[in-house]
Amino acid sequence: MSGPTDRAPARMLLHLIHRTTFVYGGDARDSFNEVRLRPCDDENQACRQFSLRVSPESAVRDYTDFHGNTVHFFDVPEGHARLVIEAESEVETVPDASRAAPAPVGFDALAASPEREMQAEFLADSRYVPLAPEIWREVQDVLSGGRGDVWGDAVRLGRHIHSTFKYRPKTTGVTTTATDALKLRAGVCQDFAHVMLGMCRCAGLPARYVSGYFLNVDRLPGEVEASHAWVEVFVPGQGWLGFDPTHNRSSDERYIKVGVGRDYADISPVSGTYRGAPTLSLDVDVKVSQLNSLTAVPG
Amino acid sequence: MSLFTTRYERASFFDEMFGASGEFRPHYRRLAERLDTLSEGEFNQRRAAVDLAFLRRGVTFTVYDNTEGTERIFPFDLLPRIIPAREWTRIEAGLIQRLTALNLFLHDIYHEQKILKDKVVPAAQVFSAKHFRREFMNFSVPRDVYVHICGSDLIRDHDGNYMVLEDNLRCPSGASYMIENRAAMRRAFPNLFESYRVRPVEGYAETLLKSLLHIAPAGCDHPNVVVLTPGVCNSAYFEHTFLARQMGVPIVEGRDLVVRNSCVYMRTIGGLVPVHVIYRRIDDDFLDPTVFRPDSVLGVPGLVGAYRSGNVSLANSIGTGVADDKVIYAYVPKMIRYYLDEDPILPNVKTYLASEPADRKFILENIGKLVVKSANEAGGYGMLIGPASTEAEIADFRAKVAAQPRNFIAQDPIQLSRAPTWCDGSLEGRHIDLRPYILHGEKITVTPGGLTRVALRRGSLVVNSSQGGGSKDTWVLQGDD
Amino acid sequence: MQTTPKAPAAQRSGPMLSRVAHSLYWMSLYIERAENVARLLDVNLQFLLDFQGLSESLPQEHWGSILASSGGAELFAELHGEPDSQNVPEFLAFDQRNPNSILSCVLSARENARMIRDQISSEMWEVINELYLFLRARNAAEVWRAGPYEFFQQVKRYSHQFQGLADSTYPRSEGWDFIQFGKLIERADKTTRILDVKYHILLPTATDVGGAVDTAQWHAVLRSASALDAYRRYYVHEILPWKVADFLIFSDTFPRSLCYCVGRLDGYLHRILGDSPARPRAPAAVAAHDLLADLKSRDIEYVLQMGLHEFLIEVQKSLDRIGDEVVQTTMFFPADPEPEEHQHQQTQQQQ
Repeated sequence: MSGPTDRAPARMLLHLIHRTTFVYGGDARDSFNEVRLRPCDDENQACRQFSLRVSPESAVRDYTDFHGNTVHFFDVPEGHARLVIEAESEVETVPDASRAAPAPVGFDALAASPEREMQAEFLADSRYVPLAPEIWREVQDVLSGGRGDVWGDAVRLGRHIHSTFKYRPKTTGVTTTATDALKLRAGVCQDFAHVMLGMCRCAGLPARYVSGYFLNVDRLPGEVEASHAWVEVFVPGQGWLGFDPTHNRSSDERYIKVGVGRDYADISPVSGTYRGAPTLSLDVDVKVSQLNSLTAVPG
Repeated sequence: MSLFTTRYERASFFDEMFGASGEFRPHYRRLAERLDTLSEGEFNQRRAAVDLAFLRRGVTFTVYDNTEGTERIFPFDLLPRIIPAREWTRIEAGLIQRLTALNLFLHDIYHEQKILKDKVVPAAQVFSAKHFRREFMNFSVPRDVYVHICGSDLIRDHDGNYMVLEDNLRCPSGASYMIENRAAMRRAFPNLFESYRVRPVEGYAETLLKSLLHIAPAGCDHPNVVVLTPGVCNSAYFEHTFLARQMGVPIVEGRDLVVRNSCVYMRTIGGLVPVHVIYRRIDDDFLDPTVFRPDSVLGVPGLVGAYRSGNVSLANSIGTGVADDKVIYAYVPKMIRYYLDEDPILPNVKTYLASEPADRKFILENIGKLVVKSANEAGGYGMLIGPASTEAEIADFRAKVAAQPRNFIAQDPIQLSRAPTWCDGSLEGRHIDLRPYILHGEKITVTPGGLTRVALRRGSLVVNSSQGGGSKDTWVLQGDD
Repeated sequence: MQTTPKAPAAQRSGPMLSRVAHSLYWMSLYIERAENVARLLDVNLQFLLDFQGLSESLPQEHWGSILASSGGAELFAELHGEPDSQNVPEFLAFDQRNPNSILSCVLSARENARMIRDQISSEMWEVINELYLFLRARNAAEVWRAGPYEFFQQVKRYSHQFQGLADSTYPRSEGWDFIQFGKLIERADKTTRILDVKYHILLPTATDVGGAVDTAQWHAVLRSASALDAYRRYYVHEILPWKVADFLIFSDTFPRSLCYCVGRLDGYLHRILGDSPARPRAPAAVAAHDLLADLKSRDIEYVLQMGLHEFLIEVQKSLDRIGDEVVQTTMFFPADPEPEEHQHQQTQQQQ
């Protein structure tokens, strides 16, 4: 355990822009939208600044959803040929060195934890994560050597996905489920996260989907800068801990969390409906950069 | 002549009209005397006149799986069901108590979730309920009223005790039939009403309008109320127009409404007119394609955003369906004790939950003796009446229950009370239930009366209109006879 | 201070929903159309009965011309081929594939009425519903066996009952304007078509002009427009083709004449489109005004010179345009013909 020190490691300050551009083949109107783009505040990060710009200009309102995520909503009634949604934020993250290292916790503690009852939905199947027999069998293969502790088992499942799945963009789509991805043994972060959720839940580990961003210094082949997804697993006494099966690591100061849900459906960044001409193109442009250097400053 | 004493066969069920030794119950005596003075021909004449009036007035419901001639009249039986004041007082108190608790429950699970944290109701059951609306967590509904219109189904057991069979907290229908049935009876037996001192049901629409105006957004001097219907193809369309007309408010379809800047408007020939309160007869799923089912064409894009912004009020609120899930139903008596610290006045029917391992074992072993229901179906669909089913039907349900335990419950079969009903030229006992209508405006009121539904097929326990049910007028008396 | 319990605030009766206005319009138009088709069939069946056996080809030509003028000829040819006294009346009375058959019209009228039954009097709804039940309770074969006269009488009676009930139970509000507008535009259109029937009938030889058949056909034209008695009062006993046309087009007082209908229609249109500043002078109002001005400044000589058929076709086009434009103008944010709803939901995969 790290105690208080004279010199706390500096927080990382990250800047991010997420711009979504829809171009329509004519007039679109009566457009109603919900976006989940604002980084959340928790023990590991603080959102210092956030702005959301919409073009054509529109009054943006917001609410907090069931999982505590901020949702902005707006509508564009008049005809428009393109819709641009741009979210810009500055987020401070707590350095990995200041975070508590996960301690081994057994399954009895998990079963007895007071939070257990309220986490029922993170153990059940959800739209993208059916608890199908093939997922359950995959879990049996990985954990055949016997169960360890909660976090340790979750990491084993995550590492298994990382080592047996291919990162391959354009093989899967936005509607691909965990079972589809398992059949392909390929996909992108969204699929990796869904498979890991399925495996954790089959193994009795409460697990939730995290939507956010990642300051990516060495990208995987074919990987573009985009919004990112990983998984959090509940460890009694320590809360929700993040693991990223795409990059095979626990979430650290380079990860910016927007929000959580049972799966992608609960936390999709942009969703909505409109009437009129079909969508010609959808362009997503994400830029994550670091605003400060990581030298320690006096505490 | 006498219409029933000679041929009426009294079985071992509780009979509404006859006591254990075959005597008339006091509150039915005058009705029996009146019927005694009618010849069968006269009686038939009145029946035919009433049926014709229903057909001509279009008092019909629509049957789904039938494209040609989709409208039917709801078969109406001329013999009223009579409830003396002392019984009604208890029913009324029980229903008010129940709706009070259900409303507190809905507030709680969408806010603090105390009842879940205290483990009185398992959180897993709530979170897995089909109609639990995560989207409305922490949303404060206008005036803190979730359910403005409630229709709970009551039955009577072998000893005549009233029990709650299920609650309908989304879009309960049938109130229009309650009022139309009364109008028909007044025409058929005008004199009987005077001698009986029957409490009127006609105030329903006015109370409904008051309840709707009660939730109008603050600062709105002349709230515009509308009834939102899925359209003419809906089975309850007659009722939607009936209620709109009785309240003197427009009936609108989704396509009549538009949302601009989080305010709702209706399209009129004079331009856009603001709407403040919507009595919606469309399920949550279809209200707004932006938020719920994207394929819905019945709804209004942006409506949920307007509701969230407080510019329009909805009755009933979004997410009330979680509390009429048949699994959650089983916990209502506990809710009443938890929130009100009272004993339930109206008991539930004993219910087994397939999701609980011990209950599931019991259900699977005794399925042939039980009534099995799916948790979220209405209208008598998705149901197995064990004692009346074939081996194959039972096997089919056993597999369903085992595969999806959360979606099923089972109950001991209750032999609903029977009431004399005119069937093919003679009076025979038929099983009935009762759906009273409870309105929650400034306070909770129960309309004295309701829809008594009757299973017209001999021996049947299914009273739903879509499955061969009919109805009777329901007389709540000022006094006890 | 003592407070008295307040009754619920009365709803202000705001402007009418666009959808409701249009349903009133279509309901009224279809009832009128059903009556017109019934009258047309009645008169012409009668006519052919009178001239049975006169000419082999007469019935076929006669029905052909009725189909041509009522606009259903192509569909009919596709479904039945050659017209005769059996298949044409059936097609016009009971065929649901024909959108303008009596049955189709009544179904449409009832469907529109059903959508707005809270907006019309129960008497109006009941009579439409009874008409529907009446049609539903009979099939074509039975009707022909029993003699169609009584059947058509009944359809017409229901329509008249509807008009009368509308007149005596419906408030004189915006809705009333739409009901009247729908009825009048249909009536004007049908009068042009009834006149046009005669154009399509080819007489076997030139000597037949002015002969018994010819006169009887003009007779039938007048009766198809319920105009025989009124015409006679003006022109005594002479049935002269140009006088019939003059009467049905230009009469200022006969309720089914084109001029009379367009004049009334112009008045209702003025009320519907109003002088609301929100709405610029609508094209429909302009078109109706122009049509009325045209009719007022012309006479029968002009029409005959231009050609009766050509003249009637022009008028029909104007009427169509007026109807369409009223629908467009009073429908705010008109729905797409096919309201396409798109989702850009979940299109953004996380990578």
